[in-house]
Amino acid sequence: MSFPQVHPGPVPAQAGIGLRFQHHEAVLERRPDIAWMEVHTENYMGGGTAIRCLETIRRDHPISLHGVGLSLGSAQGLDPAHLKRIRKVAERIEPGLMSEHIAWSVAEATYLADLLPLPMTEESLSVVCRHVDEVQSAMKRRILVENPSTYLRFRHSTIPEWEFMAAVARRTGCGILCDVNNIYVSARNHDWDPSAYLARLPPAAIGEIHLAGHSVRSLPDGTTLRIDDHGSRVIDDVWALYREALARFGPVPTLIEWDTDVPSLGVLLGEAAIAGAMLADAKPGARDADAA
Amino acid sequence: MPTLLETQCAMRTWLVDGERDAAADLLADGISPDRLDIYRNTFVANATRALRLTYPAVHKLVGDEFFEGAAVAFIAQHPPRSACFDHYGEAFAAFLAAFPPAASLAYLADVARLEWAVSRAIHSDDVEPLDLARLVALSPAEQECVSFVPHPSVSLLSLVTPADAIRRAVLAGDDAALAAVDPAAGAVRLLVERGESGPEVTRLDAAAWHFAAELCRGLPLGMVLAELHGTSAETAFAAHLGAGRFVDFRLAPPELMASLSPSEAGP
Repeated sequence: MSFPQVHPGPVPAQAGIGLRFQHHEAVLERRPDIAWMEVHTENYMGGGTAIRCLETIRRDHPISLHGVGLSLGSAQGLDPAHLKRIRKVAERIEPGLMSEHIAWSVAEATYLADLLPLPMTEESLSVVCRHVDEVQSAMKRRILVENPSTYLRFRHSTIPEWEFMAAVARRTGCGILCDVNNIYVSARNHDWDPSAYLARLPPAAIGEIHLAGHSVRSLPDGTTLRIDDHGSRVIDDVWALYREALARFGPVPTLIEWDTDVPSLGVLLGEAAIAGAMLADAKPGARDADAA
Repeated sequence: MPTLLETQCAMRTWLVDGERDAAADLLADGISPDRLDIYRNTFVANATRALRLTYPAVHKLVGDEFFEGAAVAFIAQHPPRSACFDHYGEAFAAFLAAFPPAASLAYLADVARLEWAVSRAIHSDDVEPLDLARLVALSPAEQECVSFVPHPSVSLLSLVTPADAIRRAVLAGDDAALAAVDPAAGAVRLLVERGESGPEVTRLDAAAWHFAAELCRGLPLGMVLAELHGTSAETAFAAHLGAGRFVDFRLAPPELMASLSPSEAGP
């Protein structure tokens, strides 16, 4: 299936920030010099002031809609009501990019309020691909799917995660939202090589990069786990991995995400400026060569 | 090999019901079942945060520990059904009314009812108000039969405690005002709706509340106006129209009109 390419589109290959309610007012007042912003689609599904505010911000900044609740990996199918709500937000905001996750969050009509890991199996792959097809048909556009951060692996998984990501992009024509922090978190949690993971993603499919902070937690069994809590600055190892990603993919729209203990707008813009400087240094990568 | 559905049902059973065995059996060698706890904690924390955002006054009235205890019990009984958290927690007031640890706080469920209405006023869909020209174009006989569809942000609440005064004082952190509220002061009748700059809560007297409630329930206009005679009804009706509280109408069939008398149509 072929869909209009939304990349580079109205979201430029520059640094953006995740917009949260805490910063609505500051953004409206200061109209910060930032290339674009991304929001969680689920936060704007009602009417009233929230979406009106986003419509105003949309006049100055391209917006990316990032979904966290569609549950592309649900064995029992997508919730048509949720898909309809997403379409309504998209009609009002006309986003430059739309994305979702390689994860699931709904089973037996219960929303489990987290991006849960999928067993990496042929069955999961065909379920996800069917749902990506469904979303792209409903939205009449290409979407991006984000690689997960995970804390466990299933006994019955048979496909390496990077191959799973590449296969979804190949089979559906969707793009990949490469979350560099997620790659780092999962790689450390599961003893993978993060550089090798990056190297196996198809450059032409990369439509966006996410960067965020994470935390480290000790478990009762004495092991430590990296937790993707988006509650701090991007760590040096992740910045280094980001440079590798840029070397491989070329300049890609890059987002700073911060969801817990959200800092001042200035801190977010500072993190985005670091990404922006690295983006400015990036040479056109294999992604552009592939796309040409 | 377990199917995807079996995997997801086992995970759901762990997250919602706390039964870990089925999910633990699915984990790869070397993956401690402790790691499942991370997901369960996130599920409960995110659902609790959604309740806290919708019920800030209930939260302030009872404190962190009590609120979290109530939330955990509520989430187990009423897990979220939709990924749109704005829709989550409607049953919380009824849950609190029957929650034994809250039995001594008679006003708590009323405050929760009010906060749910406020949440609806904040989050409900944007809908254009009724185009009055459509109403004017009807014949007088048809106007009698008009049954209105209220704006989704509008709620009419009849509460046995002065929950509006309690909520206002609590959210303002005004201890003196809170101390001055007499929880036994009697019932309040409220109109809650989306205003220009946010949710608005207005007290109505009994007659005005019944008038608004009957119109919002879709009782035919002719019947509701006949119940409340005189200019006060017309003024109130004009105010409802002017405030955009109705978004659409249907025409009740004349035979229904004939069969209904105002006394039979009460709640």
